[in-house]
Amino acid sequence: MTIRVLSPDVASQISAGEVIERPASVVKELVENALDAGARSISITIQDAGKRLIEVADDGSGIPAEELELSVTRHATSKLVEAHELFQITSLGFRGEALASIASVSRLSLTSRVEQGKTAARLKVDGGKTGKVESTGAPRGTVVNVQDLFYNVPARLKFLKSDSTERRVIDSLVTRYALAYPNVRIKFSVDSTVTLQTTGDGDRRSILSALYGAESATQMLDVLAEETSMKLYGFISPLSLTRSNRRDIAFFVNGRWIQDIPLSTALVQAYHTLLMVGRYPLASLFLEIAPEQVDVNVHPAKAEIRFREPDKVFSFVQRAARRALLAYSPVPQVSQPNWGQTWSQTDPGWILAHPEDHPLDRAPQVPNSYPAASPSGVQVTGSNLAQSEFAQIPLLRLIGQVGATYLVAEGPDGLYLIDQHAAHERILFEKIIDQHASSKVASQVLLAPVVLDLSGSQASLLQENLEVLGQLGFVIEEFGPASFQIRAVPVIFNSSNASAAIRAVVEDFEEDETPLKSEIELRLAGRVCKGMAVKAGQVLSIEEQKNLLSNLEACRSPRTCPHGRPTMIHLSVDLLEKQFGRRGPR
Amino acid sequence: MKVTVLQENLSRGVNIVSRAVSPRSTLPVLGNILMATDDGRLRLSATNLEMGITCWIAARIEGEGSTTVPARTLSDLVNTLPVDNVQLNLDARTQNLNVRCGTTNADIKCIDAQDFPPMPSIDLDGAVQLNVAEFKEMIQQVTFAASTDEARPVLMGVLLTVDKDNVTMAAADGFRLSVRKATLATHTQRPFNLIIPARALNELARVATEGEEPVYMAVPKGRNQVIFRYKDVEVTSQLIDGSFPDYQQIIPRSFKSRTLVSTAALVKACKQAEIFAREGMNVARLDIRQAKGEMQPSEVEISAVSEETGKNETIVEATVDGTGLLIAFNVKFLREALEVIRTPNVVLETSAPNAPGVVKPVGDDSFLHVIMPMHV
Ligand SMILES: Nc1ncnc2c1ncn2[C@@H]1O[C@H](COP(=O)(O)OP(=O)(O)OP(=O)(O)O)[C@@H](O)[C@H]1O
Ligand SMILES: [Mg+2]
Repeated sequence: MTIRVLSPDVASQISAGEVIERPASVVKELVENALDAGARSISITIQDAGKRLIEVADDGSGIPAEELELSVTRHATSKLVEAHELFQITSLGFRGEALASIASVSRLSLTSRVEQGKTAARLKVDGGKTGKVESTGAPRGTVVNVQDLFYNVPARLKFLKSDSTERRVIDSLVTRYALAYPNVRIKFSVDSTVTLQTTGDGDRRSILSALYGAESATQMLDVLAEETSMKLYGFISPLSLTRSNRRDIAFFVNGRWIQDIPLSTALVQAYHTLLMVGRYPLASLFLEIAPEQVDVNVHPAKAEIRFREPDKVFSFVQRAARRALLAYSPVPQVSQPNWGQTWSQTDPGWILAHPEDHPLDRAPQVPNSYPAASPSGVQVTGSNLAQSEFAQIPLLRLIGQVGATYLVAEGPDGLYLIDQHAAHERILFEKIIDQHASSKVASQVLLAPVVLDLSGSQASLLQENLEVLGQLGFVIEEFGPASFQIRAVPVIFNSSNASAAIRAVVEDFEEDETPLKSEIELRLAGRVCKGMAVKAGQVLSIEEQKNLLSNLEACRSPRTCPHGRPTMIHLSVDLLEKQFGRRGPR
Repeated sequence: MKVTVLQENLSRGVNIVSRAVSPRSTLPVLGNILMATDDGRLRLSATNLEMGITCWIAARIEGEGSTTVPARTLSDLVNTLPVDNVQLNLDARTQNLNVRCGTTNADIKCIDAQDFPPMPSIDLDGAVQLNVAEFKEMIQQVTFAASTDEARPVLMGVLLTVDKDNVTMAAADGFRLSVRKATLATHTQRPFNLIIPARALNELARVATEGEEPVYMAVPKGRNQVIFRYKDVEVTSQLIDGSFPDYQQIIPRSFKSRTLVSTAALVKACKQAEIFAREGMNVARLDIRQAKGEMQPSEVEISAVSEETGKNETIVEATVDGTGLLIAFNVKFLREALEVIRTPNVVLETSAPNAPGVVKPVGDDSFLHVIMPMHV
């Protein structure tokens, strides 16, 4: 279809406004254009966090030379003609706005060649001033080169976040699109280093680790559910993997990344009662739904949509997620079906001597409906799942330390394996929060103040949080423009590594763009405790191990660390007996 | 190797060097004790690569040789042998050590001595000589203040400085500092300083039993090690790299309040406060009060409160010069510092609730301890 200027009547029905806010918006528009053009391969290059250069090259259909000028004209699109088509949109673009908007705030060069074209054509637009179309040599497809973004709107430049933040936003955008389009080869280069390269072989799992890191990626659970006119697939995190904000929940609806609060709420509700307050899952979910069931024309940046039957969609998402969750991730108790799986993955040394002889290993590893079919002695249902996670733990007798990372202990009902770092985090966290709540914060003055040098933006972040840190027991004073002196630390920290902990706090805040006011305190406390807690790999004396256990016993929520990971695994007597073949399954 | 030793000697030697054995090492030979004939004596050595201990024992040597013997097996066996001659006979080919004593006859499987890391030996020329009793006291007075936190390895060590005829030891974690000085019998040519792991010094203090002989200390050139020799025992330790914080800066030069109390009374008051303080955050408050009138004594009230256990207040009579003050300390830290003070009286110098306190024995300039207060 050729590019045409929309009739004023249609154009006025399109939700318009600020389309280009930051470098990532440019990348999003260009990638979507490439995808609309049927590209099999897309290469994205940025320099200086996209401020100096953003280039997107594709091998898609291309733009005919005679239409180049139109493509950068406002309200000119090849994807829509009539107003009624607005309710049937199958392409990502439809407004005919993106290129024009980008061209008006940058130096843009558009090079394109269609299949039948003898040569390629190039058009340059400088801050909205369109040049002449020239012919040039290039392979089939389109290269859009955007330089000096916002050079003519300095006010915009000022609103950009730090380079690392802008880069991170672009990076997560590109990675998310790579995940949504696993059949398209996507290459992403940052300042001439390739940071992402997908094969286009359709395998999403391999792209996941680019998004979440290898460790978390392997833990992600598969979701797949279908209903009439709807299909949901993708990945959600197990209970053991959470974040303190919703930023890692991403939804694609019909191939379009959308930020829809009700949809992510539907997902979070699937975890209801399973996660600690203030903890959120990670997710990359892809919803396919008949185009007429959604209105995509509601938000200028196309980031929001409206469902024709929202409740139906939400409950579908929630059910699908809940089902995946229950099927894969029972509580941190080692349940029988999970047993063989867990240990054989972590360390072959834990596999039973003759697994093939063992009746349990022939049991399905992932039962379809977990609670009912559970053959183990550990009966876990949806509701007591939640309870057991927060319940007190029995008195434990220390057996010892394993691998300088875990404590082994015996309780009246079996064996407990305790993650020393997570447990210590929990202990410190509750202490610091309790002290704070009772405003009985005591701090220990340091022998010599610790000096902390930060970057300018980090310094202002710390500045903003000094008061809360002070309430938690830190005495931190300014010491030069971007320098601080830590003079005292909360008494519960007998570690001398205060600067590392504070630095971690600042970095954590830098990551998050909009920490909720009410969450700041808990976040800070959690982060600080993480930095101060004993590390995995640290040998503890018997005395220290005992202390850790008795302090953990005294915690209100001893079973999870403040970040929601389990502190302990429980092997019940029942389970042990069965595993050793002392007693058959009931 | 064929030697005869007295059971008591062998048992003592094995027990001394066993402290350096690292049973859980990935190098099996480090779980063993080196046994070698050495110039008419039997040498026993063990090392965990950070610290090594060697002990020589009297022996009748009929054949030279060496091997390494699993430490647990050796010490368990030797400790149960009768007080008698022990014959040790090594089959060098099979590395089998035959142990005979009384009616006991045992064979222990050993590992070739060649696999054992070489142990440096001390060169007594130019070694610093230290009085053993004083040296042990120095160690006791500073090592408790060293850090146990691996995040800052330098603070897990003790800074030992030798200059002319002065020797100083200092140790600090993030919250307190202990400094002890002593005078050497002989002058040292060149000043030097070392950071020695506190653990190695504590081991040395354990093996250096009282006596008249000096402790020798030497730093072999080009190796990052220090060697101590006391009688027939040598303790070798790796030194800690890095620069020790300039502690002189931390020691307050002045004070606003000087409180003199009986050491024993204050230790007792601290111990009582600790019973309650340990439940919470170890906070004890010291209310230093000037005499109210001519005939009234000045005093310090030490108090601790626990939400669960209850509370405690103890009043200790004191001589207070300067202003009164309310200051909080980690009571464990305070008690630990007081417990290494030998003089009957002690002074606590303070300036403000958020300024460091200094603890000094009265009539003894060789020791001082800086302790940081708590904010409550
Ligand atoms: N990479 C590309 N390959 C082929 N054609 C392209 C490409 N990029 C843009 N075009 C053409 O240029 C037109 C204008 O693009 P532009 O992104 O400005 O608008 P749009 O995609 O139609 O709508 P929207 O503003 O919603 O993105 C498109 O309709 C398309 O025909
Ligand atoms: Mg577009």
